[in-house]
Amino acid sequence: MQNKKAVFVCCGTGCLANGSGEIYNAFQKQIKKLGLDVEVIPKIKKTGCHGLCQKGPLVHITPQEITYIHVKATDVAEIVERSIIKDEVIDRLLYFDKQQKAKIQSKEDWTFEKKQYRIALRNCGKIANDSIDDYLEKDGYKALEKVLKTMTGQEVIAEIKESGLRGRGGGGFPTGIKWSLAAKAIGDTKYVICNGDEGDPGAFMDRSILEGDPHTVLEGMAICAYAIGAKRAFLYIRDEYGLAVKNMRQAIATAKERGFLGENILGTDFTFDAEVVRGGGAFVCGEETSLLHSIEGSTGEPSPKPPYPADKGLWGQPTIINNVETWANVPVIINKGADWFASIGSEKSKGTKVFALVGKINNTGLVEVPMGITLREIIFEIGGGIPQKRKFKAVQTGGPSGGCIPEDKLDLSVDFDSLIAEGSMMGSGGMIVIDDRTCMVEFARYYLQFLSEESCGKCVPCREGIKSMLAILDDICEGKGKPGDIELLAEIGAMVQANSLCGLGKTAPNPVLSNIKNFRDEFEAHINEKRCPAGVCKNLTKFYIDAQTCIGCGACLKSCPVEAISGEKKKAHILDEAKCITCGNCRDFCRVDAICVR
Amino acid sequence: MQIFINNKPYEANASEKILDVARRNGIEIPTLCHSEALPGLASCRLCMVEVKENGRTGQVAACTHPVAEGIEVNTESELIAHHRKTLLQLYYLMAPQSKRIKAMLSYYHVPAFDRLPADKDNKCILCGLCTKACSELGTNAISTLNRGTDKKVGTAFDEPAITCIGCGACASICPTEAIEMSEQDGKRTIWEKTFQLLRCSDCGEYFTTPEALAHVRQKLGERAGKIEELQLCEHCKTKKTATKLKDGLKLEEVFDSLAK
Repeated sequence: MQNKKAVFVCCGTGCLANGSGEIYNAFQKQIKKLGLDVEVIPKIKKTGCHGLCQKGPLVHITPQEITYIHVKATDVAEIVERSIIKDEVIDRLLYFDKQQKAKIQSKEDWTFEKKQYRIALRNCGKIANDSIDDYLEKDGYKALEKVLKTMTGQEVIAEIKESGLRGRGGGGFPTGIKWSLAAKAIGDTKYVICNGDEGDPGAFMDRSILEGDPHTVLEGMAICAYAIGAKRAFLYIRDEYGLAVKNMRQAIATAKERGFLGENILGTDFTFDAEVVRGGGAFVCGEETSLLHSIEGSTGEPSPKPPYPADKGLWGQPTIINNVETWANVPVIINKGADWFASIGSEKSKGTKVFALVGKINNTGLVEVPMGITLREIIFEIGGGIPQKRKFKAVQTGGPSGGCIPEDKLDLSVDFDSLIAEGSMMGSGGMIVIDDRTCMVEFARYYLQFLSEESCGKCVPCREGIKSMLAILDDICEGKGKPGDIELLAEIGAMVQANSLCGLGKTAPNPVLSNIKNFRDEFEAHINEKRCPAGVCKNLTKFYIDAQTCIGCGACLKSCPVEAISGEKKKAHILDEAKCITCGNCRDFCRVDAICVR
Repeated sequence: MQIFINNKPYEANASEKILDVARRNGIEIPTLCHSEALPGLASCRLCMVEVKENGRTGQVAACTHPVAEGIEVNTESELIAHHRKTLLQLYYLMAPQSKRIKAMLSYYHVPAFDRLPADKDNKCILCGLCTKACSELGTNAISTLNRGTDKKVGTAFDEPAITCIGCGACASICPTEAIEMSEQDGKRTIWEKTFQLLRCSDCGEYFTTPEALAHVRQKLGERAGKIEELQLCEHCKTKKTATKLKDGLKLEEVFDSLAK
């Protein structure tokens, strides 16, 4: 087995969009064409996400451990010829690691990977996403077997409780306690649900797990079903996630064929079945009560808690809803033990968390790190810092309802409680990095705009509060802000947080409130000086060229769509404010930062 | 069990919500979307109170939050009063024409709010009571449409609903008089659909639509034939029941005769 060569082509949605499907086909064709000796016939695998999506399509070759980035179909013949047959490394396709200042042969040695610790993503990119055999090879369904044959439901729950696992969907509720509530609850039928309605802009960890390692989610759910006495499961997957739905449906079918789902699983009297439900296309359906109503066929709107779903959930029966990532942790905890899991992470947040690192960051992608790591390590070591040597300004954690954390808090340890204390939250793990060319007022306005469209509109504080706050922020960004607006935003925001019916409303004001707290000067500049310091809000921005810095290269002049810039070569250029439409093109093209904001 | 509201002890039953106990004891908590007949919406969020439970203090909706032994409820804390004021200002922006909203603003001394434009002609606060009434008492002829800030109440495709029976439950339960129902010359118009009205078999006043009566008969099934009160208007119905009681029939027997 060990000598067998294998080519791993990433077929996650990100790499597929960059043509990895074609690459996969080209590898198959090329190997068939050459009729390579059986011993070296590579096993080509369609895998899930490897993590570093920005450098995709990614191809990894074992046992040589070579990782190629930005692979094109036209590279395939050369890769087969040189790397698979002759074991050579093609230098041009390797990843250049800026921190190590060298090209690195294997992804295992990338700085991007070094601080990562993969539990939930352990199999993503390492097994074929359509093969149950690959999953079984990686200890797949061993945890289920262990549970069914050697543990009682109570013992399973105790193990999960001891591990300290908390819900990865955002709330951070202790998973073991939730399960014990459902186990105790009285109901004819109990249900287990996977929340795969990942709606945060920029978050894609749930999608990657569903696409790349669907069986681990099923196994986690089966273990819970056994522990609480449920027989049926639903996987509520966001409608836009076509590949995740397809791979999950296939996984359910093969798991049934092999006897890991269905009646009398593994020869015991445990019966369990699962099906996929496609999401209704609303952000609010990620909220658990809305999700339940959506599965029931009603409008996706939340209902008051209590009663909690563990008590009265789907069709009024005790129901456990956990996020995709939570489920992916369960089989590993059972296999390796609660003590092992509890030894990873921080005091109150155990294990790891997957983050989708996006925005103004060099290494865009999925990273899984132990809880308690600092933001600085994630952004500047794993993420490789900010592109174009720009200055870091803030990082937004937790999706559209998360707050922005400024530079002086970069050494904050990342866990559920410390993020909440900073006015943000873990959320599902979105992490959007912001540089100095982002206006914090506009940023908050953008997310309120998103939430105003995605609020279900059922309760008044959320619907009308967001609407009013958005109207005020629109005014501020257009230069119509009035004295007292900041206080009014804070007042409405605090009321919306306290009075809203569900989690969406309770967290919706976070971006506004955290930005007022940390970047109040930007709000004041907009309102009092009618000036956008970041140079983003068009009505409030005036550019000029700093004559001392300008080298007269002409890049700005060429980029200007309205011929507002003039000047001779190698002499400082001049910008005509009357003609300028403040599109900001010149600023992006200038290499010496000579375009300044008044 | 015993619970505390504003530092005073009150008796409560396990199945009750905080609002039930407060109302029974004359403690004021404002609501708009609450109806004793159709409880549980929790959308207006005016009934927020502070609750200390299991050592933690939080803000909950009194209309849906269940009571528990020893919980401490505060209906008038500074924070509650402050948020209530802010929320009422939003209500003013939404439905400045509603008499109920106007009365609430003045009762709670909410200062004038002119930073944002108010929706001049609107009375609806989208609490959802009308659609809940239509779904549970009527025929699902109206529902909330769209999502978020575009949300509204209406009939399918904004056309007169085939299923509407003109019962008027939506209009009568609306807390802000937002649903227009007009009656003229023996005809009732609601949701752009006009119905012929029936006369009360006793006093001869118009009182309901034939469609609504048929709906009630259908729901009652075989029992419908035995209830002569069905043909009566509200006023005559009350009179009839009172007469029955006066004639020596016990209250339980009156109910029994209606239920059978």
